[in-house]
Amino acid sequence: MHQVLTRPSLGFGLGLRVDHYEAILAGRPPVDWFEVLTENYLVPGGKPLNYLMRIRERFRIAMHGVSLSIGSTAPLDREYLRQVKALAARVQPEWVSDHLCWTGVAGRNTHDLLPLPYTREAVDHVVARVRTVQDLLERRILLENVSSYVSFRDAPLTEWQFLAEIAERADCLILLDVNNIYVSAVNHGFDPLEYLNAIPPARVQQIHLAGHEDHGDYLVDTHDHPVRSAVWELYAAAVRRLGPVSTMIERDDHIPPLAELCAELEEARSVARRALAGGEAIRPSAHAAPAAGLR
Amino acid sequence: MSPVSDLARIQGEFQEYLLRGTRAIEARVAGSASFALETRLGIYAGAYGSRLIDALESSYPALAALLGEQDFQALGAEYVRAHDSPYFSIRNYGDALEEFLRTDAGYADVPLLAELARFEWTLGAVFDAADAEPLTAAALARVAPADWAELRFTFHPSVRRVALAWNAPQLWKALTEGGERPQLELAAAPVEWLAWRQDLRTWFRSLAAAEAAALDAARAGRGFGELCELLAATHGAHQAPAEAAALLAVWLGAGLIVAAAPA
Repeated sequence: MHQVLTRPSLGFGLGLRVDHYEAILAGRPPVDWFEVLTENYLVPGGKPLNYLMRIRERFRIAMHGVSLSIGSTAPLDREYLRQVKALAARVQPEWVSDHLCWTGVAGRNTHDLLPLPYTREAVDHVVARVRTVQDLLERRILLENVSSYVSFRDAPLTEWQFLAEIAERADCLILLDVNNIYVSAVNHGFDPLEYLNAIPPARVQQIHLAGHEDHGDYLVDTHDHPVRSAVWELYAAAVRRLGPVSTMIERDDHIPPLAELCAELEEARSVARRALAGGEAIRPSAHAAPAAGLR
Repeated sequence: MSPVSDLARIQGEFQEYLLRGTRAIEARVAGSASFALETRLGIYAGAYGSRLIDALESSYPALAALLGEQDFQALGAEYVRAHDSPYFSIRNYGDALEEFLRTDAGYADVPLLAELARFEWTLGAVFDAADAEPLTAAALARVAPADWAELRFTFHPSVRRVALAWNAPQLWKALTEGGERPQLELAAAPVEWLAWRQDLRTWFRSLAAAEAAALDAARAGRGFGELCELLAATHGAHQAPAEAAALLAVWLGAGLIVAAAPA
């Protein structure tokens, strides 16, 4: 039996940022939906929640968290999950996502998206926790691949095997960050298309695009630049493989005026349109395309 | 099977590297000629510190402006070394900065810094306190005369009170909104301040001693009759009810009161 797991594309969205609240409500920006950083709204009340509730009357919203720490060996934070669930009940988001990473152990939070070793032990651990979280939240969650700078010894799986297996076994969905694939591909020396082609299309509900910082020998995921050309190319390949997927651009630092981000979003629309017009829906072979063109 | 899993050991060592600079994790990660192991790990260590210092800067913008980039970075780095974050939300990081500034040998001799930090943290609490609909004058007018003596008030969740020896609020205003920076002044007695939110905006003002005492009593659940008795000490028994009514009108107009009911 064929079961459709993902929602039809919402189109092209942006991250909701404080600097843009007024412009969003004052005009009719060409943005199909907004992604909000969950933790910014886990507050008792006040201005951010007020704006969010007004903006959600006009735009569809996805909730994106950074504190789930799904890969941590510390116990799940039940109070955090209770608050996420309460916010979701209020906002009625299209979906709830977080990252395939860990953020802390022993009662500490590093507030960073730290990499996991790609081992069997970690797969089993994360799968069990995703199931628990999905039961608690009463919804499938999306997990996003993070940028990473280290890889662990004695970790036999590739990142794409790790992500794909967790998604399948935990029955969760994927938020595919195309910039993060590219950043990690350069930092760890793998082929981003091999990664892309190993991701189960049926589970990809959202795509992230963002800018990074080029240090020559390595890249740092900074979200403070426009999307780079190599990432646009990889995005086109993703759209050819996955078809239309809800796509958004993240900008967390050096945030330009809304109109500038809308122009970048128009570029995403155009890249996706060209990719869909020109390419096949699913790339047949995992090794069909060379990586060289993307580096 | 070892009692501690490999995953737990890796995470413990990685976190100890970020928080304390210990290097056991280096044996578990791989580097390459063009992108050395130390550089790779260093990206995480650098991001850890700068992210937390950024969080401090967004909670304490006036303190950051007063100290300047270099000194605030130094303060942030010291605070980060002394305080891990137990919070799922980074907004809550920095709650102990006032105490740090008050007690750390490098800062304690400038007590204004701790007071400015206390004031800024208070404004943060006002900013995202729970919402509540203010009581209207019309609703209060419907209270039966017989109920007034026992009338008790519920205040907006954003209402905060602080007493400050230095003119930190005036300095805060100049540092965050521009304008001439006032001379630092130590008051003869601590000045009572009220901070609250009305129509999504954060407000603060100083309070005369009598209003501060009446407000604190009302927030502690004293009835209107008791507020009158309290004000009799400063305004005389004859004038006290009028003074209490005048204060109530001011509080109502500022959206401080959300409910009034007899005990």
